[in-house]
Amino acid sequence: MAIGLKAYREICHGCGNCVVACPVNSLRSPEVAGGKGPTDDVDIIMIVEDGAVQIKNPDLCGKCGTCMETCPVEAIKLEEL
Amino acid sequence: METTELLDGKDITVERAGEEDRTLLFKNHLCAVCGLCESICPVSAIETNPTGAMVRTEQDASKIDIDENKCVLCGMCSSICPFQALDLQIDGESIKEIAGYPHIIKSADIDDDECINCKACETACPQDAITITRELPSRAELITGEIDIDKDTCISCGMCEEMCPVDAIELDHQMPTSDNPVVATDINVDTDKCVHCGICKRICPVDAITQVCRICPYGEYEIAEPEITGTSYIDPELCVNCTWCQEICPVDAAKVTKPFEGELNIDSETCQGCETCVMVCPCNVLSFPKSTKAGVNAEKLHKDERFCIYCGACGKSCPVNAIEVKRTKINYTPTKSKAWKKAFESLEN
Repeated sequence: MAIGLKAYREICHGCGNCVVACPVNSLRSPEVAGGKGPTDDVDIIMIVEDGAVQIKNPDLCGKCGTCMETCPVEAIKLEEL
Repeated sequence: METTELLDGKDITVERAGEEDRTLLFKNHLCAVCGLCESICPVSAIETNPTGAMVRTEQDASKIDIDENKCVLCGMCSSICPFQALDLQIDGESIKEIAGYPHIIKSADIDDDECINCKACETACPQDAITITRELPSRAELITGEIDIDKDTCISCGMCEEMCPVDAIELDHQMPTSDNPVVATDINVDTDKCVHCGICKRICPVDAITQVCRICPYGEYEIAEPEITGTSYIDPELCVNCTWCQEICPVDAAKVTKPFEGELNIDSETCQGCETCVMVCPCNVLSFPKSTKAGVNAEKLHKDERFCIYCGACGKSCPVNAIEVKRTKINYTPTKSKAWKKAFESLEN
């Protein structure tokens, strides 16, 4: 079974820690690297949408676990899909 | 002949009974998820799970999956694994012990005759594979002097007990009673603990303590060379041959042979500092240096290649491909088999 990224929107606080901590996001978007959500249309793995995390491009994920470590409520996880 | 797979927690056993019984054992806790087994497997039976996720986060799955329908129990994965996580046994004997099978050349030894039992290696070993058991002489053997408390003069004030830096003085305190109107019934010095520093003598308000240290006036002639004995042990299962023990040993008592040679390149422009590689590396090659003062950027990611065995786990774990592990040479025992040579060479670049 493959391990991949899963978001639990119902428990997410929408803090955006995962968005800015993600090294892939940070590399792809200078705005994310600067600690903000992206305002341009660059493809990143996840964004906060309507107050909760939304996974947009799971294929970009390197499955490193950084987002999981920064999430205060375990709303984003690498797990068997 | 049917091949079966058994799971014991996250450990895996793949078995095939026949003219000879072949068993492939996978020990999950030893695996660094470097992916060498996956790369060498000639039938693509092994799939490693994502390195970062497996090392950094809690996962229910094993670090690798073995497809028993594909596995031919050839043992190549067992031969290449630098972490003792995979072992192919034929009729109960590991192929690492069978001369006909090539295996990677690696070793780690501590020469007990040279070792001074300082425990630097034990502290530095990234896998806690080293145990140094040492016996030190008693403190009393390294000091000489005399101490005596005149119990008739002593007023049991407890100042010496409070001041003694090695807790060598003990009073038997009590609440005075009409039939025994004293605050302490006795005072004693543990001469095994006493270092003859003289503080008790100096603090005593009634000069009840006589104490002499013989070292200062007479020199150290009375003190024999301390005898420090010890033994070292390297757990062969846990050791990853990283050379930390060899490099940190002050007396060159540790000798390590690494299984692979190569080079480790970090693209610090691409690196985003997520720390996955630092956590994944089984050899503590990588670290994040601390900034020396506010406003000064420290080096983003520091490497010390002396400790690198070029297993490739860091490169595999990096989510932005900022690490390149070039394995230029695999040291293995000679083999006539072209297939095995080719398999080993396929992992060199």
